[in-house]
This record gives sequence, structure tokens and C-alpha cells, in this order.
Amino acid sequence: MASKSSLLKVILLGDGGVGKSSLMNRYVTNKFDTHLFHTIGVEFLNKDLEVDGHLVTMQIWDTAGQERFRSLRTPFYRGSDCCLLTFSVDDNQSFLNLANWKKEFIYYADVKEPESFPFVVLGNKLDVTERQVSTEDAQQWCRENGNYPYFETSAKDATNVAVAFEEAVRRVLAMEDRGDHLIPTDTVNLHRKPRSSATCC
Amino acid sequence: MNTQGMQLARGLRDGKGRSEGARGGLPLKDESLDFPTLMAETGAPDPRWCSYFFLYDGSKVKEEGDPTRAGICYFYPKDTPLEQQELLCGQLAGVCRCVSELSCSPVRLLRLRRRKFAICMRGDFLWALGCAVEIPDVSIHGFLEQLIGLFCFYNGPVRQSYQLHSPEELAIQWGLYLSHLQGGATELHHIFSSLRTIDSTRIDPLLLLKAALILQACQRCSLVLAGCILYCGRVVSTQMPPDLTAKVLVNETEANNQDLKHLANGVTSPDSTPLSSSVTSIPVFLTPSELHALRCPPVDWACRSHCLPLQANQTKKSRLLSRTLSDTPAPESEPPSLDSTFRTPNSHQTMPCSTRSSLSDEMCFSPSPSLNAFSHTPLPQHHPGSCDQVLANGTQLTGSQEVWQGQGQDGSILGAPHGENGGISESHEGSHNRGDCYGDSVKEERRHEEDREVANETEPHGANAQSGEEQSHRNNSWNPNNSCKDGSPEDEEEESRNADNRLMRKEQGSHNEEESLSSEGAQKDEAPTCMSSSGASEPTLVAMTLYQHRVRGLVLALLVEPNFQSDAAAMEEVHHSSLASLNGLEAHLRSTTVGTPGPPGGYTFAHYDCLQNTLTTNLSGGAGSPQERSFVRATSLLHSQFSQSVTLQETIVRSAGAAVYGTRSAAQETYFLQQGATVRNSGVPNPQDSAFSLPSKARHRLLKHGVNLL
Repeated sequence: MASKSSLLKVILLGDGGVGKSSLMNRYVTNKFDTHLFHTIGVEFLNKDLEVDGHLVTMQIWDTAGQERFRSLRTPFYRGSDCCLLTFSVDDNQSFLNLANWKKEFIYYADVKEPESFPFVVLGNKLDVTERQVSTEDAQQWCRENGNYPYFETSAKDATNVAVAFEEAVRRVLAMEDRGDHLIPTDTVNLHRKPRSSATCC
Repeated sequence: MNTQGMQLARGLRDGKGRSEGARGGLPLKDESLDFPTLMAETGAPDPRWCSYFFLYDGSKVKEEGDPTRAGICYFYPKDTPLEQQELLCGQLAGVCRCVSELSCSPVRLLRLRRRKFAICMRGDFLWALGCAVEIPDVSIHGFLEQLIGLFCFYNGPVRQSYQLHSPEELAIQWGLYLSHLQGGATELHHIFSSLRTIDSTRIDPLLLLKAALILQACQRCSLVLAGCILYCGRVVSTQMPPDLTAKVLVNETEANNQDLKHLANGVTSPDSTPLSSSVTSIPVFLTPSELHALRCPPVDWACRSHCLPLQANQTKKSRLLSRTLSDTPAPESEPPSLDSTFRTPNSHQTMPCSTRSSLSDEMCFSPSPSLNAFSHTPLPQHHPGSCDQVLANGTQLTGSQEVWQGQGQDGSILGAPHGENGGISESHEGSHNRGDCYGDSVKEERRHEEDREVANETEPHGANAQSGEEQSHRNNSWNPNNSCKDGSPEDEEEESRNADNRLMRKEQGSHNEEESLSSEGAQKDEAPTCMSSSGASEPTLVAMTLYQHRVRGLVLALLVEPNFQSDAAAMEEVHHSSLASLNGLEAHLRSTTVGTPGPPGGYTFAHYDCLQNTLTTNLSGGAGSPQERSFVRATSLLHSQFSQSVTLQETIVRSAGAAVYGTRSAAQETYFLQQGATVRNSGVPNPQDSAFSLPSKARHRLLKHGVNLL
């Protein structure tokens, strides 16, 4: 599979206004738009990249953070290969809600082994001067909840954005490698199947 | 009058349309037009809606020796023997010319015994679309106008097109538009010439908001005029007036078909398609009024499609209509906005329109200058019945109304074959003409306001409005009348007359400025279309670009300035601002289950929104039960009747097995059938008759469909 480009579905979850759409746009189009409207439902962009010799097409799904859009976004959790839990470092409530987002994702994505599912935690808006969430608190939460990688990003000035998404890809690839070893060869792995480019979800 | 006209005039004298003197010597009886073999084309349009369609260029047949075939630009069905094509074209063109010259009024309809022809005459061009007599006049006209509108939108002015391209190339285009207009939609959609929209009851309303926001985001680029989002050939959201949206829909459908073919061959797959291949730009041609509506949107046209004022308006009006069937509201009780819109200016305009009937008809016939004068139509709408009928409100000459209703009773209402006398009956559609004329004057008034508003701006179209002739100096405008003018005295005469008309109307316009300003909003809502006046010559068209971005079945279509294509930054901005959202919207729409139709509910309804040109119905697309077919037939009859009798507001039509209630206001028409109701209708109507409870049933049942008749 190293030579063939596989499609990875990566989903951004987090409270409304923490910057999920901006992170996606910064990463894929390298643009930052201060006038983005609330995302309604879901949106996605594809990005081709090479990580550790693997060519992958990352399909980044951006979701609506507002509660009222819940029924629109949840059907699209299924099939995700990685979940990026996002909060804003200047908004403590968005940090506290991470647990709820994780729970919602595991429920609707129908994740079979939540303990080993690759989550990555992003603390966005690093450029804002008045922080409400310290790096230590965030790191501690990540350690306690499954030892998730944590990145502090800024979509506005592009800090750490690419690094975070690439880490997400690495986590997925690592999972797949492990999965390849664990799963007997005569079974068909429906859950972790690398998608061909012909389907998108 | 040219030779052909003379021939036909002789033919008419000889007796009821028999023109033994004409070429071929075949009698012009409709039976002779039923060439049954000609309709056997595979995948041919429904012969009831289109048995014949042709475009005839009278300028090619001037002399006695000119063969009629020289004037036939396009003929459908294409395998019709040339002699028969010539016969039909020659006869119809001659009749039209003769009648229009004798009556000083453009011909809009020729009714034969088993067939009728919608006619459009513009300059030397004549279009005729033949259909079955049971098709409502207003629907077949809508069809023809759409057809011509489509051609001009994608190909530019007709004269120009036939100079630049071979008739064979353009025949393919005509065929495309013919099949598009008849494909896919239900019979009801055809009857109302309504847009095909996504079933909004089956998708989350938030998705409509999402679509609207995508369009708004695109408009942040100043080169983007307006857009619409289509899914699988249906409108999801649009910022354009309904007629423009309908035009954009064609290309979408065609491209969609091609796309699917590609997919089937595995040539492209949507996810791996490079962005450039999902984006196309093609040149299109807008009328000045369409362009103006886009550049200077009246009030907030994009929001209007869903906004409350409209509904409030509608509600207010229909409250009066639907108390009981016999409840006839006094004219004074109309909402004030409507009142001032229609009555005040109309009463001012009645004089010139009716007394100078020949001149006002010339306006409709006229070449571009007069149309340029109307170039400030804020809201062109090409579904004639709905608008025109409203405009003719009350101030028609009763004579013409009687003619109309007489025809209706003869042919449409009772469903009996019309014209037992076997002759050709023709109608001038006086009401339409008056509607158009009136509309012109409204536009003229508005033009004055706008002229003042844009007096200091250097916008080209503002300048154009000052004088139609100036149009030709624009780089990107096409003026067929300049480029193709052969200096015929007729043209010049017409132009000078039109100039006179303009002056006269300017004067009237200034008188009415106050009214038009005070009722501006409402007026723009109800603005009639002068573009639908089939007597008009070709309008000047302005080249623009249609940008389309496809994501599987979803298409973002934007009307953009022509220089958008060369502006890489602008294109990238639009692309980036919409791509993710389009991907998402497509995913949402695709995951929306096609949906089982709701429980039958025991009734059938159709609700037509005249302003948005949309139709809501719970009728399935299929052939349906006999009762459903009666519903469609009754709806067709009632729609026709509504379009003919402008004062008619409520009516019940019934057969032995079914009763259909119809009600309409300025903004909507609603039709309702209660299934399984016992209809006892022999003898004198019984007060206990269930048919009389239809209005109240309709009010209550339709509330949950968002149709408020209260």
C-alpha cells in the first residue's frame, strides 16, 4: 500500500467558533478568512500529501460546532480514520467540552475499539494573547484520556497546522500497520479498509 | 404586404383557411397537418406539447420567386418532407403576417380544429409551436417563450447566430432545448412552465440556508453577478430571477448527462478529478433587462424568495378570497400595495395603450430601440400568464375579455374540440398586449427614477438606457439591428415610431413618478415582462459568462462578468470560498434519502407560486390514478381559465367522479382535490354537496404544506 495513494478521512470536531474551518482552509488552501460564517452541517476538502513515504489523500471533514447543527453533522462521523478534537486556547468552555465531543464521536461513528482509536487534540488560536487554557492543563487532559498527541496551533498565522494534520496521518498509518499484523489474513477488514479514490465516504 | 401575405389573404377569402392558390394546392385544414409518421421519432418530445416547431425567416422570402424553403431556419420534426415544411411554414407565416397587418396586432395564437400554434413574431423571424388544443394557451406560450429565450441565452441573437453558424449546428441546439423543456418534469410543471426545484420538504431547511450562504460568499467577488445551486437538475437555491434560473438549468442538465457518461466509462471520478475539469465557463447572452436585474437587484430579490413580506401579502389577499366560494371581494379591499401597483399607474396608462393600439402593438413588434428603453426591468419574468393576467387587472376593454372567455368556453373549459366551424380562429390576446404595454410604461417610469439615481455613475447600461442606439457602441454588446440592418424602410419607420413612443412614454412616466416611487417595492415584485411580448423584435443582448463548478450531481452556476475568466485571482477566490461547502452540501443532499412519499392523506393539491415560478404538489410524477389524471386535467383547465379571466379568483370544476377547487391571488394559484369524496352532482346543486366544503378543506389540509389560504 505504500505506493498507492489511499484516502484517509479525518474529521474535525469541537465547539463552534474554535476555528475548525479556518484550520482546514489554512492547511489545504493556505488562506485565512476572517469572515467565515458558521459552518452548516459538514464540509470537506481533499489534500494530497506524502508522509513517511506513504502517498495519501487526506479528506478533511469540517463540522458544525453549534448544537443546533448536531443532527446534520453526526451522520458523517462514520468511517472516520482519525478525529481531531479541537478547542480554542482562549475559551475554557471549549476545552471542557472536549470530553463531550469525544463521547459524541465514539457514539455516532460507531467506533468498535474506542481505546485505540486515533484522536489528536488541537488547541487553536495560539495567536490570541489572553489564554484561558494552559498548555499543561491541555497536555494533562490528553495524557489522562488516552495519551493523545497535542498541538497548539494558529490557523491565523499558520503555526503548527501542517504538523498537526501530518501527525494525524501518521497515527492512522500506525494503526493500519498494527492492524495488518494483528488481523488474520483470511478475514476482510471492513472497518479499516483503505478506501479507493472512487468513494468519498 | 409581401407576396405571401397576399396569397394567404386570398386563401382566407376563398373560404376559411383553404388556400387553393397556395403552393402545393393542399387545403390548410388541420387534418392535413397531422402527419402521423412524423411524430414517430424516437425519444421525441410529447406530441401533445410539441407536434411542430419551426423558425421562419421572412426576410429570406421577399420576392415572388423566393422559395419558401429559403426562409425555414429550423423545422421539427426534422424528417418532415420539405414540401410539407414549406406548406406549413408558408401558410402560417402568411396568415400571421396578414392577420397582424390587418389587425395591427401581433398574432400570438392560431387555433385549428385539433391543434393550435403558439406564435412569436420578432422582426422578420417567426416561431410557431404546434400543440394539442387541450394545452392551455398560456402554457404553450410559456413553452415557446422559454424555448426562444434558451436559444438566445446560449447562442446570442438569432440573426447573429444564423450568420455565424450553420443551420445544422443550430438545429442541434434547438433540438436540445426542445427535449430539455419536455424532459423530466411532470405534466403539472409543464402546465405552469414552472422551475424544477428540489423537494424542500424532504431536506433539512438548514441545507437551503447553506446553499444560500455559498451563493452569498461567491458574490463577495465583485465580478460575480448572481448564482444558483442545482442538484441533479433541480434548483436548490437561486439568486436569479426564475426565468434566468430556468435557462441555466439546461446546460446543467446536459452537462450532467455527459458527466454521467464519463463516469460510466470510468474516465473521470469525482474525487480524483483535478479541479480545473470540474469548472467550466461558457459565454451566454443576457437581455439588458435581465442584466439590469442582476446588477441592480430590486429590493432584496435573493431574500425575497423565502421572505415573509411576500407571504404576508399573499395571506392578506387570499383571506378575502377564500371565505366562501361566492365571496367576491370588493376591489378596494385589496392590499394597498397591490392597489397602488396595479390600479393607479394602469388607470393613467389606459388611455395611450388603448387608443393608440396600433402604436402600442408596434412597441411590441419593435426592434431593439424600444426594448432598450425597457432595459430597466428589475424583475423579468417569463411566465406570462401569472404576471400579465395580474396587470391587465380590471382595466381591460370588456370586449376583448368577452372574446377571450368565449374562446375558453368553446374549447378549453368544456374540453370539447374547438372550432366546429372548422376555420382558423385567431386571437390577438388583447389582454396580453395591454399588459405588456402597461408594463412598458411602468418600466419607463422606473427607468426614470433609475436614470436619476445613476445619473452620476458611468455604468454603461445606465447610459444605454438613454438611447437604445447607443447600445451598439458597447464592446460586448451585440446589436443585430445594426450589424444586420439592410436599411429596409420598414425598419426605419418602425424605429422612428418607436422613438415617438419612447417620448410619449417618457412624458407619461414623469407624470407617474410619484406613484411609482411610492409603490416601488410592490411594483417590482409584480413587474411584468416586456420580454415575453412575442411581437417584439430581437432585443440587444449582452455577452456574459456562465461559470459552472460541478461536484458530482451538484452544480454551482454563476453569472459572471466576461473578464472573470481572465482574472485568476478572482476565480481562485470564488473556487476556494465555495469548494468545501459544495463538497459538504453535495454529501448532505446525497445522503438525504430519496424518501417515500408521505401517507396519501386523501387529497391531491398543486400550489403554484407565480413570483418564484415554483410548484408544490403532492402528486407523484407517474401517470397516477384516474382521479389524479382528472386532477391534472382540471388544473390545466382552471389555470387556463385563470389566465384568461383576470377577475376570476375561485372556482370549482367537477365531473361525475371528482371535484377540483382552484383559487388564485396575485402571487399564487392553488388547486385542491379531495379524494374519495362522494360527489353527487346530478340536477340542481345541493347545498349539502361535498364540493362546497372543498374551500375549507383546502385551507386546512394545505396549511401543513406551507400553503396558507386563510
